[in-house]
Amino acid sequence: MKDEKASSRKEEGKTIQLETPISEEAVRALRVGDFVEINGTILCGRDAVLPKMVNLAESGDVKVLTLLRGSVIFHTAVSPAGIGPTTSGKLEIEGSIPALSKAGVKVHLGKGALTAETMEALKAHNSVFAVTPPTTAYFSAKMISQKVAMFPEEGMEALYEVKVKGFPAIIAIANGESIFSK
Amino acid sequence: MLTIEKIREGVGKCLVKAGTTYRADQFEAYRSAIGKETNKNARWVLERLVENAEIAEKGKYPLCDDTGIPHVFLEVGNEIDLPKGWLPAIQEGVAEGLRAMPGRPMAIKGNDVERVEQSGGLAEDPAAVVPPSMITKAVAGNKLSVTVLLFGGGPEIRAKTYRIYHKRSMKRVVEEAAGWVAAEVGGLGCTPGTVAMGIGRSHTEAAMRMVEAMRQGDLRKQSEWEMRVTEIVNATKVGPLGMGGDYSVLGTFLNVGPARASGVRIVCVRPCCCVEPRRATVSFDAAGNVTLE
Repeated sequence: MKDEKASSRKEEGKTIQLETPISEEAVRALRVGDFVEINGTILCGRDAVLPKMVNLAESGDVKVLTLLRGSVIFHTAVSPAGIGPTTSGKLEIEGSIPALSKAGVKVHLGKGALTAETMEALKAHNSVFAVTPPTTAYFSAKMISQKVAMFPEEGMEALYEVKVKGFPAIIAIANGESIFSK
Repeated sequence: MLTIEKIREGVGKCLVKAGTTYRADQFEAYRSAIGKETNKNARWVLERLVENAEIAEKGKYPLCDDTGIPHVFLEVGNEIDLPKGWLPAIQEGVAEGLRAMPGRPMAIKGNDVERVEQSGGLAEDPAAVVPPSMITKAVAGNKLSVTVLLFGGGPEIRAKTYRIYHKRSMKRVVEEAAGWVAAEVGGLGCTPGTVAMGIGRSHTEAAMRMVEAMRQGDLRKQSEWEMRVTEIVNATKVGPLGMGGDYSVLGTFLNVGPARASGVRIVCVRPCCCVEPRRATVSFDAAGNVTLE
């Protein structure tokens, strides 16, 4: 991941470029409804590994905390079929968002509405929730590389690091506001 | 001459087409929605979905990473002589298609308890995602038609089969069932979708009619009742990806079966997601001609 935290807020209606690791300032500037493109390395994980990541982060695991700082976590499996958002409101996924935000995750990327409690946790830790359509073929064209980062025994549900360029999303929850309640 | 090799190969190609291609009526419905949608976020999602479908068709990529559970619907002509082993050849064709696409390797290994508890590990072979028993319908003519449909997980956890007291009113039945979908569509996430609805005498028949609706439906040809269902679901304003907008669903596919003398009808509804119904049909005649559509 790059040390440089490059994020620029362009004029209204334009796409904001986000580069990982994402800085506190860049996240603070995001608003509900912003179109963003993510560049760099993102983490991919879902039901099976996110609770494990929470346990490791809460125990102070240095490797995990380093991995999470300024990160984007995409709620997806990674398989030969590609990647695509799963429902973020599922118990193990949404339940991980507060602790992972506290540990340094800046953008949680998935689909579907989240609860008011999760929105509060995102706000408290200066993190956001973004959504993206299930456009697997399009994502395949945007993926540069992929590798298993942790928990290989989980197969397609392992934690992956995926390098992307111009990965599109809309900011759905930020600063205590939600696109789903508009 | 029709051979089991032709059946196997044709079914394999059929599955890949189902998982990687939008039909003409889907493209038409999406482009129409883009032209009419007033919500900018919703329009952005619709445009991405069309772009995704164009890339998928060109590169033979899966439309969605949840490549679904294959379901097979057969129409067997009463005048066709089929070669020995034709049914296993269809099963082998499904397996070949899953390996070629490729399908997501998401089958859970193990005994009953291990499968339920997801403790038996995952099979690495995409073909381990075996289809359930095939639906078979006898028809006139000398063709065998095999339709492959790929059912994603999100719609499955929001589908419903239950009874409705009809009170001798089609309107009542259709509107109550549409209400079930309206209550669920906000949780689907992958909208805009299509409502699939089957009406039958038993839960099994209603579900089979629902599958037949998915097999036959055309977003360009909507009946009065299909339009009414669509209208009720779109009134929720859930919109694409649940972010608001005019198009929570693009249309409805309804199939009504036989009825029994009773005060109730059994209705099965499924809020299909934005890449569904993923379907393709391959037809074979006795001379060995193969048509994929």
